Amino acid sequence: MQGILPFVVRRLMWAPFVLLAVSLATFALGRFGPGDPVEIVQGQYHKPEVVERIRHERGLDDPFFVQYGRYMWDVLHGDLGTSFTYQGSDVEDIIFDKMWITIQYNLVVLVIIFAIGIPVGIWAALRQGTWQDPLTIGVFLLFRSVPVLVIIPILQFILALKLGWLPSSGWVERDILGMKIGIFDKRIIMPILALFLPGIAAVARLMRAQTLEVLDEDFVRTARAKGLREVVVVSRHVARNALLPMTTIVGFALVGLLGGSLFVETLFGIPGIGQFTWQAVGNRDYDVIMAVTLITATAFIVANLVTDIAYGFVDPRVRLGGGGPRY
Amino acid sequence: MRDLFPVLRGLAAAVAVVVGVVILGGCGGDEGDSSDQGTPTAPTAGGELRLLGRDPITLDPACASDVDSANYIVEIFGGLVTIDRELQIVPDIAGSWDVSDDGTVYTFQLRRGVLFHREDRQVTADDVKYSMERALDPDTQSTVAEVYLGDIVGVEEFVDGDADEVTGIEVVDNYTLRITIDAPKPYFLAKLTYPTAFVVDRRQVEGSTCFSGTNWQRHPNATGPFNLKEWDLGQRIVLEPNSRYQLGAPSLGRAVYTLGGGSAITMYENDEIDVTGVGLNDIEAVRDPAHSLNKEFQEAPRMDIWYIGFNVGEPPFDDVKVRQAFAHAIDKDKLIEVVLLDAVVEADGILPPGIPGFNENLQGLEFDPERAQQLLAESTYGGPEGLPDIEIASSGRGASVGPVSEAILFMWEENLGVEISVRQTEFATFLGDLHDGEFQMFELGWVADYPDPENFLKIQFYSGSTNNYSQYANAEVDDLLEQADTETDEARRLSLYQQSEQIIVNEAPWIPLFHDKFSVLIKPYVKDYLLPPFVIPRLRYVHIEE
Repeated sequence: MQGILPFVVRRLMWAPFVLLAVSLATFALGRFGPGDPVEIVQGQYHKPEVVERIRHERGLDDPFFVQYGRYMWDVLHGDLGTSFTYQGSDVEDIIFDKMWITIQYNLVVLVIIFAIGIPVGIWAALRQGTWQDPLTIGVFLLFRSVPVLVIIPILQFILALKLGWLPSSGWVERDILGMKIGIFDKRIIMPILALFLPGIAAVARLMRAQTLEVLDEDFVRTARAKGLREVVVVSRHVARNALLPMTTIVGFALVGLLGGSLFVETLFGIPGIGQFTWQAVGNRDYDVIMAVTLITATAFIVANLVTDIAYGFVDPRVRLGGGGPRY
Repeated sequence: MRDLFPVLRGLAAAVAVVVGVVILGGCGGDEGDSSDQGTPTAPTAGGELRLLGRDPITLDPACASDVDSANYIVEIFGGLVTIDRELQIVPDIAGSWDVSDDGTVYTFQLRRGVLFHREDRQVTADDVKYSMERALDPDTQSTVAEVYLGDIVGVEEFVDGDADEVTGIEVVDNYTLRITIDAPKPYFLAKLTYPTAFVVDRRQVEGSTCFSGTNWQRHPNATGPFNLKEWDLGQRIVLEPNSRYQLGAPSLGRAVYTLGGGSAITMYENDEIDVTGVGLNDIEAVRDPAHSLNKEFQEAPRMDIWYIGFNVGEPPFDDVKVRQAFAHAIDKDKLIEVVLLDAVVEADGILPPGIPGFNENLQGLEFDPERAQQLLAESTYGGPEGLPDIEIASSGRGASVGPVSEAILFMWEENLGVEISVRQTEFATFLGDLHDGEFQMFELGWVADYPDPENFLKIQFYSGSTNNYSQYANAEVDDLLEQADTETDEARRLSLYQQSEQIIVNEAPWIPLFHDKFSVLIKPYVKDYLLPPFVIPRLRYVHIEE
């Protein structure tokens, strides 16, 4: 892994520029786009002079770059601003709590998706050419193809209304080791079902493709030729090699969690970041929108970097940056 | 490969469209109350009411401009006067009041022994004066205080910074407060029932504005029927009764609002909440007497109006005949029966039933396609061919305009031969454009803040009103509204409003469409859950039957 440090440094040097571009674009979209947070707070009762006065006091009538500069200065000093939607609340007081909620249940989903998707993919690959392969993948693709908006009411109808097993919605936190944890409550079962059922197909298909590729490799033939039992061949030689590329998608999957799922959060009453960001956009809650964008962008930059490095580790054929032989 | 978890992130766009429909499409949705947060709680004496709610934008009475916030604030805070279950203005912190003969000086005698929730301190006239002045203080940055308190003498000077206090609010002694207004305005007391006039604890709120220093709102010290026990952002709000409330302690043990959202009607059926709104999708089912929920179904009128507004300064609606033609071309009976499933009440005029001055004999512009065509032909545009391109603006985030607009557009095409395009924008954009007078015509609603015709007619049709989005100006109407403003004889005052309303309806700056109803399911053990037509403190009447 020679040269990894310069690579990381080079990539990190780009990060501020990426963040600058992202923040500038988002800031401009808010300020130059239609709609105004003060007008929204005032609603239909319109007193233009009051709106002007408050815009002035909030600094919303300053030139664009003054506003942007002031905002970025505050951000660099750890102040993400205040919310208009929850009047006066500090953005950092709200969004980290909300992101934590979203991350919790999505992490569970992610673990389940990989835990089921990987064995299913391998199994399907081994059954290639039989009816079992297309049937298995087909069933999971079916779940993938039905919109969550359809799955959710069906789940609620069956599990809550007909069988009475689960509450239809809600989010209840318990205090565990000083952390607010909401995933040890039965209310979370349905949202997790609604998210992981469609998610499995993607992992399973990818795993199947990787496995098929590995199955064709010489070392697999060698392993079989040595007389190893099929279980050993699959678990020790095939699965291990097929799994390597999978590790690289975990990073992006993790970052994707930050976005949350608007549908799931809205219909199941989970007060996460997805629902909140959606409201923030509707209310032109500038500082919230900016904070969510910046945090997500940062997370993507980090995930990108980690993934690229992981590629290098996992597959020595990949070289980081210039130089060295390319294949 | 990066497209691995579209469910987790990529769906946003599609989601936006569909959820927009789901969330915004539910008619009567804000009554979609609910709760149960699962944390087991000891049963309280008066029982628990579980509702579905939304986070209030603010719990500062000075700043509240939306229904969600006001709904909580009226339960927690109180002012000189309040509105009771019969919708009458009754004493709250003030025990009684006198009005001078000329109708401009109100002298309030405060009750002795009205205590704040969190300490044994009595409310005095100073607290009331402080609270109102704080709301009006430009530093507080309230967007609405002047709307509700602007009639008081000296407000303008105070807001402009030319005076240190509002001269019209005088503390006579600890328990006497005198308020002078600029003209006899019979609706002034009604305005005092709105949160901006409510009493706050000076020690708690000092230094805070609508947009900063708002932490005190998590444990406000106030005087209303309920005490805010808990507000967990996005999760839940718990209200507990104020046992020393001056109008009688509420009988509820507590009220729990779930704020995270959820499918209201499913939660209701699954016994997670006690009250839910019923949308158009379910309304026919629950109306059926054979349906299991039918006995829990209740409807009640709301004081609002949904209408199509014309910008009378823009062609072609600068011609009154064109506006009348468009009005005559809408078959409201059919619209309400077929599209809205009779979940609303037809509107002939502007004022909703139940508001003082509602005119049963008002002559609306009836459905009459022939008259409509004739009017259009007589207009300066000479007929459908002479009209410029017309666009109607509506707010929404769906990909379609919704069945009501669709039906109306079809009726205009069918009955007038006029094709109209739709400009749909989400609410923030819509509101901005509306304020800027950008539209030729638009669809909108207006909900009463207090039960007085002034709240509809003066605010929407007086030529000098900043809320007059149709730019309507008629000297005769202005004159009638001004007279009504200061007329102390109630019957004459209402008659002035009725005259102005009839002129407005005839000249059609608006086409009134319908008045909403609450369509709600309430669990049978929840008694006296009122469905008032506008925001009033109502939880103090509720009791839970074992």
